[in-house]
Amino acid sequence: MSISLFIYLFGVIAFYFSLRLQVDGNVNKEMGKRKISLIRQMEEAHSSVSQPPGRSEMVLIKPVEKAGSPDRYADTLIFNKEERKYELYRQLNFTETLNNQSFEVQIFKSLEETDLLIVSIIMTMTILVILLILTLLIVNRYSSRMVWSAFYDTVEKINRYDLNSHEDFALQDSDVKEFADLNRVLHAMTERIKSDYLNLKEYTENASHEIQTPLAIIHSKLELLLQSGEMSEKQYKALADAYEASIRLSKYNSTLILLAKIENKQFPESKMVSPEAIVTSLLENLDDLIRSKKIEVIREIAPDVMVLMNPYLAEMLIVNLVKNAVRHNVKGGRLKVEIRETFLRISNSGIEISADENLLFKRFYKSTSSPESLGLGLAIVQKICALYGFDISYQFREQMHCMIVVFNKGVGMDLNRDPS
Amino acid sequence: MVFKLCYFATSGIILNFVMKILIIEDEKTLSDAIVEYLDGEGHLCEVVYNFEEAIEKIELYEYDCMVVDINLPDGSGLDLIRLVKKKSIAVGIIIVSARNSLDNRIEGLEIGADHYLTKPFHLAELNAHLKSIHRRISFNGSNELVLNEIKLIPEEHRAFVLDQELVLTKKEYELLLFFISNKNKIITKAGLAEHLWGDHMDAADSYDFIYTHIKNLRRELLKKGCKDYIKTIYGLGYKFDLS
Repeated sequence: MSISLFIYLFGVIAFYFSLRLQVDGNVNKEMGKRKISLIRQMEEAHSSVSQPPGRSEMVLIKPVEKAGSPDRYADTLIFNKEERKYELYRQLNFTETLNNQSFEVQIFKSLEETDLLIVSIIMTMTILVILLILTLLIVNRYSSRMVWSAFYDTVEKINRYDLNSHEDFALQDSDVKEFADLNRVLHAMTERIKSDYLNLKEYTENASHEIQTPLAIIHSKLELLLQSGEMSEKQYKALADAYEASIRLSKYNSTLILLAKIENKQFPESKMVSPEAIVTSLLENLDDLIRSKKIEVIREIAPDVMVLMNPYLAEMLIVNLVKNAVRHNVKGGRLKVEIRETFLRISNSGIEISADENLLFKRFYKSTSSPESLGLGLAIVQKICALYGFDISYQFREQMHCMIVVFNKGVGMDLNRDPS
Repeated sequence: MVFKLCYFATSGIILNFVMKILIIEDEKTLSDAIVEYLDGEGHLCEVVYNFEEAIEKIELYEYDCMVVDINLPDGSGLDLIRLVKKKSIAVGIIIVSARNSLDNRIEGLEIGADHYLTKPFHLAELNAHLKSIHRRISFNGSNELVLNEIKLIPEEHRAFVLDQELVLTKKEYELLLFFISNKNKIITKAGLAEHLWGDHMDAADSYDFIYTHIKNLRRELLKKGCKDYIKTIYGLGYKFDLS
């Protein structure tokens, strides 16, 4: 835009000067002709000055002492008494010798009219070009909006594309061949990726399910072998390790199945559940554990808080949070459970962790303090929160690790609020 | 129903009732393992590997208890449960399923199953459930469990040694009951942990507590004059050894 304006400005100036040059050349040529006719006139008249033939032309002849200076063209301004202003004239000076008398002749030719012409030409040009540029701009903007809209739509959709969402990846049609090609290729690509992804997912899910039965066999056979009772300590030890490993494996497996199920939204049935009831029975179940660690339990529970959730997932959510809070607690520490209408906060004493808090929710992330844990608890919590649109966040304050689940407004709002 | 005479040291002669158990599990190795574990518990076990055979058995005979896999190659175990429930009200049913699906669990329990075990499960856990069904069916409420000098009243969660009541926490009582249900068998720590805390605990976390509970339980039993039945097996688990 600015470049084209610059070029245009430059062009106008160049155009003006070239026009000027052209006009000057023409005037010069005319004045040259005039000079010849003037000399002829002077020769015929022997003397005296003939009046200039038109208003736009003046001739001044005055005697000088010696002739011989070359023809000289110049621009000059002459005061016009009638219009009381200076006007531009082209001037030709030459000397001529007649009858041994040298004369200097000055021919003036008005440039006023040609100047006007030039100006009007330039003006017309300018207006035309400005109009042209404006139309171009408008057309350009409009057409590019038309043409690129498909492109920007595509960019936006790619940006938002989520393999896990079950939405179709539909792109806007475009008349531009290149964009239509792009969309076609993109569509084919996402379809391929999606089907690969689904295949892989299905495969892992099936594998997980199929693994459970052989695992059950390994498990039960090992248990039987334990009962046979004719083994050395070394054999028992080997057996015990294998047994432990099979238990770990099956726990991993069933947890991964659970994660996949949450992702696939296979827990559709929801009802109002009471987080308080879950917390109460859970704390009861973990009571001896809590007591042995000398953990002080602080309950700050608002009455009658209900959340609309799948009961099983609600339990999983709270169990995992509380379990973590017990496991990562310090001896003589505190465990604080806060339930409000809008949020659930579970905090426990502990030393500050240096790790990136985003890593906490990653699968198989383990803190160094408890290497035996599966590292899947918080991944489950996060998946459940994502499913219900809850907001989960971690904070470390007042020497406590806090996990806060903010229930979504509308979904998790307290529906049975006590009117008092 | 089959009755046989049994002799117990402290309670004298009582009629012990033998459960007829039908095991429906298409995975042959697994059902064999179940039968082998239950062997010597004094039950009559029959095994079938598919839906058709199971229907046949159920039509022909009466069972006291059924261990059912839901996913059978030619049908659903849930239908078998409905069928057997129609015939007998007292029948005990334990579902074992590879799919830890909440729907199946709820539906199974609604149509009358007593327990739902997810594969892989501990055989000791299955045995403990069978024992509790056994108690429910055989004693019809007046429910006392006697083993040498130990006597349990499961309904009231009370335990006695030589008629002196033991002071036990809830978990310790459950531990004792689990031991008695699986007497003379090695019970792994993982199996104990799962029985006591369910899925709520990662096994490794709870081993220390198992140790503490066992220590307390043993001390309490010895204090009341009970023999030391609880044996530790090389860091693997424990055995309630009557031999």
